[in-house]
Amino acid sequence: RMEASCLELALEGERLCKAGDCRAGVSFFEAAVQVGTEDLRTLSAIYSQLGNAYFYLHEYAKALEYHHHDLTLARTIGDLLGEAKASGNLGNTLKVLGNFEEAIVCCQRHLDISRELNDKVGEARALYNLGNVYHSKGKNVANAGTHDPGELPDDVKNALQKAAKYYEENLSIVTELGDRAAQGRAFGNLGNTHYLLGNFRSAVLAHEQRLLIAKEFGDRSAERRAYSNLGNAYIFLGEFETAAEYYRRTLQLARQLKDRAVEAQACYSLGNTYTLLQDYEKAIDYHLKHLVIAQELHDKIGEGRACWSLGNAYTALGNHDQAIHFAGRHLEISREVGDRSGELTARLNLSDLQMVLGLSYSTNNSMMAESHAVENSLNGGRARGRRYSMENMELMKLTPEKVPNWN
Amino acid sequence: SQPLAGGQTAELQSKVVPSKQIIHSDNMEMEPETMETKSVTDYFSKLHMGSLVYSCTSKRKNK
Repeated sequence: RMEASCLELALEGERLCKAGDCRAGVSFFEAAVQVGTEDLRTLSAIYSQLGNAYFYLHEYAKALEYHHHDLTLARTIGDLLGEAKASGNLGNTLKVLGNFEEAIVCCQRHLDISRELNDKVGEARALYNLGNVYHSKGKNVANAGTHDPGELPDDVKNALQKAAKYYEENLSIVTELGDRAAQGRAFGNLGNTHYLLGNFRSAVLAHEQRLLIAKEFGDRSAERRAYSNLGNAYIFLGEFETAAEYYRRTLQLARQLKDRAVEAQACYSLGNTYTLLQDYEKAIDYHLKHLVIAQELHDKIGEGRACWSLGNAYTALGNHDQAIHFAGRHLEISREVGDRSGELTARLNLSDLQMVLGLSYSTNNSMMAESHAVENSLNGGRARGRRYSMENMELMKLTPEKVPNWN
Repeated sequence: SQPLAGGQTAELQSKVVPSKQIIHSDNMEMEPETMETKSVTDYFSKLHMGSLVYSCTSKRKNK
């Protein structure tokens, strides 16, 4: 019978998705849709799960399509709870696609219906989603500019403050419900929101709560996230030793979890932290570890960053041969990936280093001319301590003893 | 702005002080999203319990 086979296919799709094989699950759900069913509630459930499967597979356009079908269907059959769920899922998907205004409308609908139905669990989940949308919205605008956390334009601040408010509201409900897992999620994202707002002490408090709950559940991924976020907050509190301790724990867990990408990130963070502590040998050690993994993962951007960082650290140590080597690699990689500002930074670094080494510039006239032009356009007067920015970083200036008298 | 080679040497006596911006907020680790779930068995079990009624809806007439 057709009817049974649609259900059977859908059930197999559900089983596969639950087992974590979304790709195979999608095939069965698609097959179920092909077979078709007269029952609109069954169809709605299939669409919803297809939408979620595509969401987890990062195919957001498809996720959007199916969640939209689900929403239309839920409205058609007057299934209010189904409409709330579809709206929430649509909101999350729109958020990832960067369509924040529509995402807010959908998540708000999820919230309104949940309240109408006196569904506390749904209300809490909608509040969490809304917090996430406002957080993304704020971060998105903030990333367009370049500033430290805490130095924000008003629209960014407003969005982030709204996010914090929604996370707090969510927390009060899930605390009441005794849902520790949901508390953990809210604390983590609330901590990150405080971090962006520049409330670093509040960020630490939230991430400490997150850490506690992660340990309760034995959730090592969440534990690692908390360590990493705590490290970030302590950097901005100027407590570099504490930050280093948290990043070390991040690294330890990343290795246990066999996640090379986060291991690389942890090494990079440690390299930067030891640079701030002016322990350049340790900084180099970690940046080299980061470089190896970046190469292994074919992460050109990461490799470029590693070379840039290594060039700086070797410069600080006065090891100019190595500094030149890595500045040269940085230049090559910047060209390769089409990173114009990285390329110019690398040029300036190289010209500085070559000057320190007393090389002749006769062969580098055009490069020097271009560097000067860039330098002027960046308003980077040498007298003020020239700032080169790459990824919001500042180039370490040459130490006095390394600077010869050029006159 | 002056050419480099003519820069005042005194001004170059700067210490190595990297910016705190060295760590960018991109490294923030967010918690996962929660998606709402539906299942064909939700409805299935209702079928078996002989209860096709769900709250908040009244029977609609086919137009």
